[in-house]
Amino acid sequence: MSAATQYYIATIVVYICVNVIGAWGLDLQFGVTGVLNFAFILFQAAGAYTAAMLSLGPASASGGFQHYLVGFKLPFPLPLIGAMLVGGALSAVIGLITLRRLRSDYQAMVMLVISVVATVVAESVVGLANGSAGLSLIPNPAKSLTGLTLQTQNWLFVGLCVALMLIVGVLMYGLVYSPYGRVLRGVRENEAAVEAMGRSATRARLQVFIIGGALAALSGALLAQFIGAWAPSEWLYPETFVFFTAVIVGGRGSISGVAIGAALVAVGIQQAVQYMPIGSDPTLLAALEWIITGLLTLIFLWLRPQGLLPERRRRYLRRVKTGFAATKLQESAGT
Amino acid sequence: MAVFISAVGFGVVTAAILAISAVGFTLQFSVTNVFNLAFGSVMTLSGFVAYWLNHAGLNIWVAMAAAAVSGGLISLAINEAIYTPFIRHGLNLFGMVIVTISVAVIFDHGLQAAVGPTFFSYTAPAGKAFRFADFVLTRQELIIVGIAVLLTILVQVALQYTRVGKAMRGLAINASLARACGVPTRGVIALAWFVSGVLAGVGGVALFLDISTFTATTGSEFLIVIIAAAVLGGIGSPRGAVLGALVVGIVTEVGAAYWNAELKDVLAFGVLIAVLLVRPQGLFSRLATERAIAR
Amino acid sequence: MSVSDAGEAPVFDSVSAGYGGHEVVHDVSLAVGQGQIACIVGPNGAGKSTLLRAITGDAQFLGGRVWLGGEEISRIPSNRLIKRGLAWVPQVDDVFTTLTVRENLELGGFLLPRKGVAARVDELLDTFPLLAGMTSRVAGRLSGGERKLLAIARALMPAPSALLLDEPTAGLSPEMTGLVLQNQIPRLSASGVAILLVEQRALEAIAVSSRVHVMVSGVIRASREAHEVTDWDELARVFLGEQ
Ligand SMILES: Nc1ncnc2c1ncn2[C@@H]1O[C@H](COP(=O)(O)OP(=O)(O)OP(=O)(O)O)[C@@H](O)[C@H]1O
Ligand SMILES: [Mg+2]
Repeated sequence: MSAATQYYIATIVVYICVNVIGAWGLDLQFGVTGVLNFAFILFQAAGAYTAAMLSLGPASASGGFQHYLVGFKLPFPLPLIGAMLVGGALSAVIGLITLRRLRSDYQAMVMLVISVVATVVAESVVGLANGSAGLSLIPNPAKSLTGLTLQTQNWLFVGLCVALMLIVGVLMYGLVYSPYGRVLRGVRENEAAVEAMGRSATRARLQVFIIGGALAALSGALLAQFIGAWAPSEWLYPETFVFFTAVIVGGRGSISGVAIGAALVAVGIQQAVQYMPIGSDPTLLAALEWIITGLLTLIFLWLRPQGLLPERRRRYLRRVKTGFAATKLQESAGT
Repeated sequence: MAVFISAVGFGVVTAAILAISAVGFTLQFSVTNVFNLAFGSVMTLSGFVAYWLNHAGLNIWVAMAAAAVSGGLISLAINEAIYTPFIRHGLNLFGMVIVTISVAVIFDHGLQAAVGPTFFSYTAPAGKAFRFADFVLTRQELIIVGIAVLLTILVQVALQYTRVGKAMRGLAINASLARACGVPTRGVIALAWFVSGVLAGVGGVALFLDISTFTATTGSEFLIVIIAAAVLGGIGSPRGAVLGALVVGIVTEVGAAYWNAELKDVLAFGVLIAVLLVRPQGLFSRLATERAIAR
Repeated sequence: MSVSDAGEAPVFDSVSAGYGGHEVVHDVSLAVGQGQIACIVGPNGAGKSTLLRAITGDAQFLGGRVWLGGEEISRIPSNRLIKRGLAWVPQVDDVFTTLTVRENLELGGFLLPRKGVAARVDELLDTFPLLAGMTSRVAGRLSGGERKLLAIARALMPAPSALLLDEPTAGLSPEMTGLVLQNQIPRLSASGVAILLVEQRALEAIAVSSRVHVMVSGVIRASREAHEVTDWDELARVFLGEQ
């Protein structure tokens, strides 16, 4: 295999792993528990920036090349762990604000707003994370190992990503199919029943918000280390939508399904577009990716809302669709 | 003081644009409960209709009227062709939010693929500047403010005093009772989508005039501020939307003058989040607990 | 009673209804004569409201037919019911809470010719003088009793020929209950309106009704001429399942 092919394959595998980890985080929130987190990409970004700052070293050492809040030069795996902690902590703060006090439709909107605000702040406060230029020269832990060829280092990082994805996957299975997972699905299907069992639905939402935020942060950290750079343009709020599409296409609540969905949507579409006979205008290609993502979401919601590999449904998961809002929605369709 | 007053002047123009759009957004939401995140795309599409007409030689205000009509038709078409079938299909509220984002993404990027990533602007002179103390507004800005005042009053009066307006308010709060009274719910809902689209069209052109250059995604980017104004005022309340627009418009522009122009939106969102923490139902929503609660 | 001689009154012919495909009301047949009052009594959750809501499109219609004035109405869009003269006062959510009292009444008269609305509102305010003093109050801020009166007045706006009343006295004071049950409802039926009344105050309701149906667990357990049912013992036996 040529070096270029090897690099190409490594890139695709890393992107798949990163997106699968992220999509699982969102699946835990949206798929399993029914929390609509429109700020999801913000937590990925938080992880990326944290990992960068925990490995770049002090900003002053860059000779004024880039500015950021704090910098440390911590060894692997501390930047990844730090990223997850920050992602979880940020989720806890935002979750406490939004999930506890606000009506659920307001929650979704406020998250959207927070996501946009965060981008604006990151772009305009240069001292935070180098403004819209973003951080670069982010160290890749595999590349700090001396005496290896560039390709070996690359494959090492791929191995790290795959290993982390597998670990997260095992943890996901453990969580989702435990009694606790049943509570989470209960929050999605019938909140009143969960509360009647003496469990707090809000607390469960907050918990998955934090776990999902940590997973998003881990995916962001790996991505930033692999690319070596991270800027606000990577995490504009529509990017969250890509993760939603991955979860819907794969199958809400289904762990293996969401993994497939993430690979297809976050990596597959982008690859497919490259091979379409429409030239190589990057704007056109990017626009096409978005259009396909949007269409795919609509098609799946219409034809196969349970996704490619549906969640294993049990009897107690019978859909309960009552309540004024749902009725009213039906009204508005004139049914 | 002069800085403050001129900032308020800018704020009034921003508030005017926000008010037109936020009233459209909130009116449709209160009637149908669909959180339509494609509203910004309707603004952009109508803005481009006006752009093409304007560059074909039409006066910008005439183009704006045409954009209003096409905005109404686009909005109606999206509802009939996509949203209503999905709701009939049994999709719940959250599913519908995802549908509206999908539509927004498809429209914005479809338009982007068609027109390219370039910046556009209308050919319309800002006109003579008028001074009121330290307030300086151009003729164009004055017209925008005038249109906003006119349209928001018109919507308010129509909702308050006309037969169909009362039917719309009744439908928003209790659809099954409205049907029992003989209100043709489908028709009234269609009207709500149309009016919302008209306001999106006018708001879009006004926005593009005000910021002078725009792209295929400008409307969707601005949508967040519109939502902030609508939520601030108490979502579902057109009167609240106007007041929310005033607060957001003036706070952002005063913030821009005194603090940091790039961070002006952050200030508005800060106000929004702070207000929601104290009054989760929004600032001006009367009887908020009676309103439909989406879950 | 056959369909043809029912006049403007509603006839239910083996109606089944429920929610989300789940049947709650099974095979109910009953008829209301023109100018008569039929009442349905029964325990909570029996399906009384569901039967009414099946007609108004708020519960799922799962079988059977409903006739009004010789025309089948079970399949027509619910906003056309009022055009056929059928009005409904739901048990809950019975007013437009964000509208004023006057606006509620005006919306009740949505199908009246525009010019007639104001006069009709005044007529109903005369009938319900308690409402006359609060026409510009928002309905969501009325007391439970005031609200129920408004709901009834709203339903009467278009002068319906048939009326479905779902617990019209819930939350009313004894005087108000007397006014509604012993005064207004009989007066309406005397003017030719067919009334199907669901009531918790069984004896009071039976006293003004011509026919009483006892519904238990979604089926009509017994139907009697009202004068045959005179005391609690009789009623209790029916409730307990005597045929
Ligand atoms: N929207 C709904 N969705 C699902 N089930 C419902 C709904 N509304 C009522 N039910 C169920 O249908 C059954 C009959 O309810 P219904 O309201 O018709 O009773 P009812 O006889 O009017 O009782 P009450 O005297 O308490 O008003 C009950 O078991 C109730 O739980
Ligand atoms: Mg009932």
